[in-house]
Amino acid sequence: MIIYTPLSEVDIFPTENEAHSKRHCVTFQGKQMYVEEQENGSYQLLQLLSTDPNDFMDQNYVPGTSIPNK
Amino acid sequence: MDKETEKQKKQTKQGGNNASAIVEKIQQLGQTNVPQAPDSNIHVLSIIGQVEGHVQLPPQNKTTKYEHVLPQLIAIEQNPKIEGLIILLNTVGGDVEAGLALAEMIASMSKPTVSIVLGGGHSIGVPIATAADYSFIVPTATMTIHPIRLTGLVIGVPQTFEYLDKMQDRVIKFVVDHSNIKEDHFKELMFAKGNLTRDIGTNVVGEDAVEQGLINEVGGVKNAMEKVNELIGDNKEPEQEVIQ
Repeated sequence: MIIYTPLSEVDIFPTENEAHSKRHCVTFQGKQMYVEEQENGSYQLLQLLSTDPNDFMDQNYVPGTSIPNK
Repeated sequence: MDKETEKQKKQTKQGGNNASAIVEKIQQLGQTNVPQAPDSNIHVLSIIGQVEGHVQLPPQNKTTKYEHVLPQLIAIEQNPKIEGLIILLNTVGGDVEAGLALAEMIASMSKPTVSIVLGGGHSIGVPIATAADYSFIVPTATMTIHPIRLTGLVIGVPQTFEYLDKMQDRVIKFVVDHSNIKEDHFKELMFAKGNLTRDIGTNVVGEDAVEQGLINEVGGVKNAMEKVNELIGDNKEPEQEVIQ
């Protein structure tokens, strides 16, 4: 598909709100992280928001980790 | 019979649980165990993807949200255990005001900051890279310098251009103040024709960025760690003298 327009792609094909509403920024065990709601109600860690390099070494905060729904 | 079917149901349920547990495990990205090191005195801030400002971008975009980064910078400034900061940059640019906010925050920190441009540090990534006390660029990384532009509803009046021009001047002023490049030269790069296929501007790669005076040195992680430790040492010295 080729579109010929000065508008940006999202102006023409707006993304569904659903995708936005599934992502949350939460604090879990004192660390800020981005999570995505899963179908089974748990959350999957997408991105850890930390500046401490050691946090990224922690097995508990590996991207993809399931976080139980509190 | 009823009992058996119940059993079967239970088994299938358990089987389902097991399967989902396995799927979950597969979904988790593998990572080897790393021995826990003592608390690091150097923190790392990665600015990746687009710099997201006032408008929330669709979820398929990889973004760095400035409202998340600003408190982290304050936390780093306040925490006495953190002595230095390394900024990893791989950004395609983004919101001018959000980017400038980040750049000003980094520039006004009292702790030593060192930035590394990896991959790309385009557009608003340029002021963020120069905001650090010392900047590095890996040999293959590129930085695109081009005029800023507006998205969304633009009113075609002269005031729009003036507003845009003023905003651009803020970016230029910041870069000129925080790097070795001269204003005229930076503007030359910004408005150059024929370098970018569909745009006005210049793309500088690794060594070139250093030659133009935008970045201090070509180097990677090792150089950046050495530099930040050196700057931390410089930072500490006056205090020791007072004690003596």
